[in-house]
Order: sequence, then structure tokens, then C-alpha cells
Amino acid sequence: MTRSLKRRLLGWTTGGMVLVLAVFAVVLYAAIKRALTGSFDESLALTVQAIAASVKQSGKDIEVEFSDLEVPEFHQADRPSYYEMWLADGSVLARSASLGRGDLQCPAGPTDALSFHAVTLPDGRPGRAVVLVFRPRVGDPDEDEKRGESEGRRTLKPSIPGKEVTLLAARETEDLDEQLASLRWLLASAGAGTVLLVVLIAAVVVRQGLRPLGSLAAGIASIRENDLSARLPADRMPAEMVPVVERLNELLGRLEEAFQRERTLTADVAHELRTPLAGIWSTVEVALSRSRAAGEYEEALRECLEIVRQTQGMADSLLSLARLEGGQTAFRSEAVCLAEAVDALWRPHARKVQGNGILFENRLPADLHCTADRDTLVMVLSNLLANAAEYTEEGGRIEISGGAAGKTVELVVSNTGCALSPEEVAHVFDRFWRGDSARSATGVHCGLGLSLVERAVRALGGTVSADLTGGRFTVRMTLPGCRGGRTQGDNNGDARRGPR
Amino acid sequence: MRLLLVEDYLPLQKSVAKGLREAGFAVDVTGDGEEGLWYAGGNDYDVVILDLMLPKMDGLTVLRRLRAEGRATHVLILTAKDTVADRVRGLDLGADDYLVKPFALEELLARVRALARRAYCTKNPRLEVGDLRIETATQRVWRGKEEVRLTPREYALLEYLAMRAGEVVSRTDIWEHMYEFNSEAVSNVVDVYIGYLRKKIDLPKHPSLIQTVRGRGYRLGAAP
Repeated sequence: MTRSLKRRLLGWTTGGMVLVLAVFAVVLYAAIKRALTGSFDESLALTVQAIAASVKQSGKDIEVEFSDLEVPEFHQADRPSYYEMWLADGSVLARSASLGRGDLQCPAGPTDALSFHAVTLPDGRPGRAVVLVFRPRVGDPDEDEKRGESEGRRTLKPSIPGKEVTLLAARETEDLDEQLASLRWLLASAGAGTVLLVVLIAAVVVRQGLRPLGSLAAGIASIRENDLSARLPADRMPAEMVPVVERLNELLGRLEEAFQRERTLTADVAHELRTPLAGIWSTVEVALSRSRAAGEYEEALRECLEIVRQTQGMADSLLSLARLEGGQTAFRSEAVCLAEAVDALWRPHARKVQGNGILFENRLPADLHCTADRDTLVMVLSNLLANAAEYTEEGGRIEISGGAAGKTVELVVSNTGCALSPEEVAHVFDRFWRGDSARSATGVHCGLGLSLVERAVRALGGTVSADLTGGRFTVRMTLPGCRGGRTQGDNNGDARRGPR
Repeated sequence: MRLLLVEDYLPLQKSVAKGLREAGFAVDVTGDGEEGLWYAGGNDYDVVILDLMLPKMDGLTVLRRLRAEGRATHVLILTAKDTVADRVRGLDLGADDYLVKPFALEELLARVRALARRAYCTKNPRLEVGDLRIETATQRVWRGKEEVRLTPREYALLEYLAMRAGEVVSRTDIWEHMYEFNSEAVSNVVDVYIGYLRKKIDLPKHPSLIQTVRGRGYRLGAAP
């Protein structure tokens, strides 16, 4: 099957039209042929009845008063008609002069009173024959005799027993055939003409009908990957195409968003890379600008190394983020005890914040388990703890609490010393977003930690949000619970929210 | 020449300040916008080098406030933002130049020198006072055909006086344009450096160029 919609529509339309026209022509032809043949037969039947009316039986004799000469068609030289009459025993009662030496075939077997047949005439032409089987009317033989004598007619086969006479008259059908032939030709040519016209009209209609497809294609072709803000116009489209256009526009919208995110990310990454590059560049350039003591070179190299380390950290975070977003991280779910994990991850920070008077409180129930990929969960928790350790003020407080809530586990990490406004808190999960206090440490914090937390928690099947509760920066997350673990949680929600 | 560098990324702040100082500029440094505005508003800097993404107050706000206060200090924006829109916005808000990170320090120095020249209404990188010739690009000085070797600080003082050649420059002006905010204040340091400079510039066979105007300050070259 051709894959062109245009050809397919045209093909089906034309095929269907040809079929319909053929059936129509055949039916029409049959009806007209039947009518013509009927009237032909009727006139033949009238002739035959006239001949039959001239056959009389008087006593045992059968008289035929019909003469060929009365009817021109039986004696004309050009295309004459024929008749012949037989008695029941097969003997010929009368025949038309036109037969000459030829003979007509007496129909064998039982025949109806009046029947029509297609025959071949003695001279080879096609014709139609009517067969009439009848009983001659009984008349007065004397009278007949008298009249016969007076009219100079002879009595054929007198006193012959038998009652039935078979009369067959045949007439050539050349005219009828010609009429039918011209009818056939007319129907065929009219049909062909109609089909041709239909094909032409269908071609135009199909082309017009498919024009919106063409304009849609042109519309799609005009969309460039660097400008996905263009939308396909749906207002001039036929109703059937509107859903297609709408779905396409929705797809474009999603693509535009994705491309926009991609572009923003690329710009952000380039922007974020510029700062450490500028740092390395100017550090090296200044160091090389004159000859210096070895210690100065060493210091410059150390500074560069530190910048490279921080940049590497940013690259790692970006890669993790890309892998999480692309769903390329392979997860191995297992039951993880949250309290233990938090304690283990806090240890390195505990040394760092020692002496700052920061109070760290892990209030997680000891048997609270969640189902998660351990490595990803460790990344989430260590980022949250590092964040808390970084921004909690001297003498401040970091608190971890949580509990089971239905099929999920809730975990809340909060710390005092938040310098962010509620509006700023709404941005903490944005990539490369840094609060003012973090910006002063540009390079040390690339603004990816909490984005990573957000994507990772989502990938683990949980949710995460941040808010300021009682002046504390609070990150709340849910994670899938653990069937084997604790199900009845001590949801000490009010206690952990602190003073309002 | 005295500059203000407002940059929050410490490695860059450190190295750029070092590079500028080694080039003979007096450089005040700060890492946040509020402090930057306070510095720039209270001192007569020749050039302010301003980062845009700053804590507490972003660079564009600092620039707008500075211009609103009527400060005509030349401002060079130093930022990682490089779109045309960013540059246009920066320049429209009253910046005099724009440099995108990362940059070659040499380019920064050249741009700063150009802005400093414009601060004294001269575009000629070669300053001439009598038979004294100063090439600001290379920081070389000639008296007649003889090249004079100066320390960066001496050069800075001479260049400042040459930029304002013919004018009487007060000790306070010299102090403000040569010394950083947190320099140790020594009351006669300007006079000491003028002395050093005289020894090197005022050669025996040449007329004396540095005049002392009693009670007012110093003047390089003849009064107009």
C-alpha cells in the first residue's frame, strides 16, 4: 500500500467510484435491455397471435388462413422474418415463404403456452423466436369450405387428428442488438468520463483538504532549535487538526522549557567557572610578573591548588546533579538506620565546630529506618549537616528529629543562625543560588549542595522542603519507610519545632 | 593613584590587589557591597574596580548609589556576567569600563591606567613637564635624555604631580591619592618622598621642577 495519504485517498475514492458506476451501469443496462427485449417480444407475440388466430379447425381439418403476403416482413427480401407451424406429431402445418429450403427447429420437449428464445436464424443471423402452442379455434367446415373456395384458398391437411399446434415465429434482432450495443457504448463512455471527472475533482479536493497538513509541515519546518518560543497557529486549522496542533504546541512548550533550563545551566556553569579561572589566572600572572622569593611562588601555587580543589568539588556536584536528573544513578535500596547514619556523618563536623559552643542534638528514634540507596542518602545527609555546621552561629543549635508517618519516614534538620529572609529560603534549592552569607565565601560554596539534596531526595522517592520555623532554617523531608523497621513513630512534631 | 577594589572572591581579590600594588597603585580592598559604597563615598579614588555579584549590596546598586551621591569617580566593572545586556546595563548606570572575568591582569592594569588618565583630563600616555618625560604605560621617566630610576612609590608620586602639572597639590591630596586606607599614618611621609623625588629629578644641570608653595603644597613645573 502506498504511504502517500493523497494517493491513498485518491485511490480509494476512484476505486469506489468505479465500482459504484459499474454496478449502476450494469443494472441500468439490464433494465433497458429487458424493456427493449420485452417490447420486441411483445410485437413478435402479437404477430404470432395474429397468425394463430388464422388457424381454424373445422371437423378434423385444420385450416390456415394466414398468408405471408399479408405481412411484408415474412416475404421481404432484406432480412425477412420466419415462421413455421407444426402439428403435435411433428408434421409441418405451415411455413413462411422466406424460409425457402431452410427449416426452423421445432422446440423439443414441453413448452409453455407462449415462450421466447434467442435463436440463430436459418440465414445465420441472430434472432429471437416466439413459440406459441395453441389449439386452433373450431369453425363450421362448410362455411369455411365455401369461403375457402370463394377466396381461392386451399385447405391444407384436411381431417388430421390432434388438437395442438405449435407455432414458432422468428425475427432478426439486429436492430435490437445495435441499440443495446450503442447503449453499452454510451454507458461505458459516460462511466469512463464520470470516473475521469471524479478523479480530477477528488485530486483537487484531496489537495485542498490536505493543504493544512502542508501548512503545518511548513510551520514546523520554520521552527528553529534556537527559538522554540514560536507556536503553531491553531486558529486557522480545521477542527480535526486542532488536537494535533495543540499537542505539538504542548510538546514545543516542554521542549522550550527543557532547552531553557539547559541554556541557563550552561550559562550558570560557564559563569561559575569564570570566577575560579579568573582567580587562577591573576594569581599565576601576578606571581610571574617579576622574580620573587621561593616562598611567594609556593604561596601562589597553594592558592591555585585550593582553587582547583574547590572547582573540582563543583564539577563533582554538577556531575552528580546531571546523573540524578538523567536518572543514571543506579539505586540499591536497603533499610538504613537514620539515627546511626546521622551520628556517623556528624563526627567530622563535630571536631570542626568544637569550641564554637554549638549544641548538636540527634533526636531521631534509634530504630527509625528508611528504605533508600545508602550512598545517595549519605550524600543528602552529609550535605545537610555540612550546611548546618557552616551557618550555625557560635552557641547556636542544630537539631535532627523525625519519625515514621504511615508508609513514609519524616526527617527534620534545623539549625539556628539563619541569615536568610523567607523569600530567600524559597530559593535555597535553586542551582548556584547562594545567600549573602555564602556569597562572601564564593568558591568555597558553589551553591549546589541543596540542589543536590533536593534532586537526590526526589530520586529516592521522597519530598523535601525548606522553611524558617521560629527563626530556624529547617529542612523537612520524607523518605520511603521500611517495612521491617519502625512503623509506630513518636511523631514529636511540636517539640521539634521549637519556640514560636 | 589610589584605587578601590570591591571583589568578594578572595583568591582574586588577593592577587589583583597584589598586582595593582606592584604596579604602583595604592589599593583599598573590600569584599562586600555596603563597605564598598562606604569606601567609595568617603574617599576620592581615582578608579573603583567593582565586582557585580557582591554580598550585602550588589555592584549595580553600589554604582547607582555612588552616582546618585554625585560621585564622578571612574568605575570599572569586573564581572563574570558577559551578556551584552549586562554590559549595557552596567555602562548605562554610569560605569566607565567593563572587564569580563577571567581577564589578563595586564589588560586590567592598562584599563585602570586609561581611566586614571581620564581622571585628570588627559588621554596622552606620555606626560611631559619641561624636559621631564613620563611614559605611564611602562612607568619609565626621563629627564632630558637621561633615564631616571624611581621606586614604585616615587613613580606614583611623580605621576600624580605630573597629571596635575602646574597646579598646586596639597599634602592631603597627595596623601589621599598615594596611600591606602589602612596605611600607617606618618605625618611627614609626603615631604619625605618629595625629598627623595627631588634628589632624583632635579638634576644639577637642569632647572628645579618641584616647587614648594608655602602653606599650600607642591607644584610640578611652572605655574600656568
